[in-house]
Amino acid sequence: MLKRPLPTQQERVLGEDDFIVSKTDLKGIITYGNRHFIQMSGYSERELLGTPHSILRHPDMPRVVFRLLWDTIQAKREICAYVKNLAKDGSFYWVFANITPSFDRNGDLIGYYSVRRKPRAEAVASIAQIYQALLAEERKAGDGQEGMKASLALLNQTLERKGLSYEEFVFGL
Amino acid sequence: MLLGAGWAASGPHPLPTLAWSLGGACVLLLGLALYTAHRILTALDRLTGHLKAAAAGNLESRITGIKAGAATGELAWAINDLLDQQEAYFREVYSAFEHATRGQTFRLAMDQGLHGAFKEAMVRVNISVESLGQVQMMALKEKLISKLTDLNSGNLLTNLKSIQEYLMNMTQEMSIVGQLSKETAGDAEASRATIEGLVADLNRVAEMAVASDAQVRLLHEKSDEIHQIVQVITEVADRTNLLALNAAIEAAHAGDAGKGFAVVAEEVRTLSENTKDAAASIAKTLQTFGQATTQMISDSEQVKALAEGSRTAVAEFRTRVLKFAGSATTSFTQMSRAQDLSFATLVKVDHFLYKQNGYRVIHQGTASPEARAVQSDHRSCRLGTWYYEGQGAELFSHVPSYVRLEAPHADVHRNIHDAVAQLSGAWERNPATQSLIYAHFEAAERASETVMSTIDRMVEERHRLA
Repeated sequence: MLKRPLPTQQERVLGEDDFIVSKTDLKGIITYGNRHFIQMSGYSERELLGTPHSILRHPDMPRVVFRLLWDTIQAKREICAYVKNLAKDGSFYWVFANITPSFDRNGDLIGYYSVRRKPRAEAVASIAQIYQALLAEERKAGDGQEGMKASLALLNQTLERKGLSYEEFVFGL
Repeated sequence: MLLGAGWAASGPHPLPTLAWSLGGACVLLLGLALYTAHRILTALDRLTGHLKAAAAGNLESRITGIKAGAATGELAWAINDLLDQQEAYFREVYSAFEHATRGQTFRLAMDQGLHGAFKEAMVRVNISVESLGQVQMMALKEKLISKLTDLNSGNLLTNLKSIQEYLMNMTQEMSIVGQLSKETAGDAEASRATIEGLVADLNRVAEMAVASDAQVRLLHEKSDEIHQIVQVITEVADRTNLLALNAAIEAAHAGDAGKGFAVVAEEVRTLSENTKDAAASIAKTLQTFGQATTQMISDSEQVKALAEGSRTAVAEFRTRVLKFAGSATTSFTQMSRAQDLSFATLVKVDHFLYKQNGYRVIHQGTASPEARAVQSDHRSCRLGTWYYEGQGAELFSHVPSYVRLEAPHADVHRNIHDAVAQLSGAWERNPATQSLIYAHFEAAERASETVMSTIDRMVEERHRLA
């Protein structure tokens, strides 16, 4: 079992023409990762396969984002999200993640496919502010369901004020 | 490493040993080569499996557990990269189109990380997504416009129907008011005649009062004359009485000789007494008669004054009645014009309704109530009934424009019928048929304009001639 490293302020940057590809099963266990995934995460292929994708979760990420992510893909819909990931050496890297459900021939859900691209710096700057506020909301209410509820309310409120759906907002950044 | 060990072991031995060693090394090399070849073949087999799956359209599978430095490692990663490119490409295209069909054209396909032809194709995909968005927007706009037109024409129809109902009520009420106004004008005329008669009568009464006043005055004068004559008679009687008394005294003096004379004197005195009595009686009668004539003069003067006053009042009344009769006639004329205008408007609305139903058939289809409604021809529609049998024929057939209404009205019906006839075919997909339908509606509109202006002229002419 891999241990999550302590985060540092070191940043890694994904190449402009590259993308990270990974696949997981229904529980989020990694079943495939391309070479960019291996390189950016700092883990070997052997380490990554069979490990939960959440090994890359950075403590700066609000939990509500992953809640939204899972709710959406479990409903067999696509989701896009800006994510700050944690590499094996404690450094971080920002990605614009796109996750889509995979189906077998019978149309049954068999896993998830994720492509992560290099985000624009301006988009990262504005989403980081929002994530910070959401995270503060989660911490203020304690780490339980209450925090999640408060954070989700704040996210919805933010979107409502902009008059945008989550998707429109994310693609407009 | 094995090869190195072989060479290292061969150092201190003699030739046969060397030969053995070489032989052994060859066997080992062969074995190694066979093993490596087998491993490569096995790995290639696996890779072939993945590629065959990909060729069959299954982009899901990937090669995992790739050993670093393995001969087929780079090949395996290259295959994974190819599959990643393909799968990312297809998923992006799917997502973008899936969103676009729901009108969410902000979700363009992301080409970042795709290479070469994949990236170039994605640019074209996004052009399609964007134009799909525009087409959708146009289609939605068209749909809205069409729905709005439908809504509008539906409401227009309802509105027209309510105006029609209102006009029908108004026409009915105006017809009642018109009748009343006509009666009032008749009454005013009759009153005028009565007043003229009354004035003539009063004039005669006044004249007669003046005449009878003169007669009474004459009578009064004559009775004064009679009074004077009666006084003369009374004086004569008095004197006669005195003479008779003196004669009686003289007769007494004469004694018996005067006896006969005394009788005569007595008779004369009696006669004079009787005459005096009669005169007194006449004077008394005359006094009563005089009082009566004085009263008559006073009465006749009052009658004269009254007749004079009545004449002035009746003259004023006459002026007023004449004015009233005049305005009653004017208001009757205006009322009848207003009635005609409202009737003309009503038949116009009937005509609008007919046309609107024609347009509605386009939306509602040839089996709709609207389609049945437009089947009527120019003789059986409401305007036609009005024109050939109803008030139109009754009130307007004498005006010059009446005959000019028939042709354009028949034209409207013919064109609407022709347009509706085109709707039974596959007009939705045929631009030529659509132009034909449009042309018929356009011709119907032009004819309808003539119908409207002709109705206006008919009303105008009827009131100019009247």
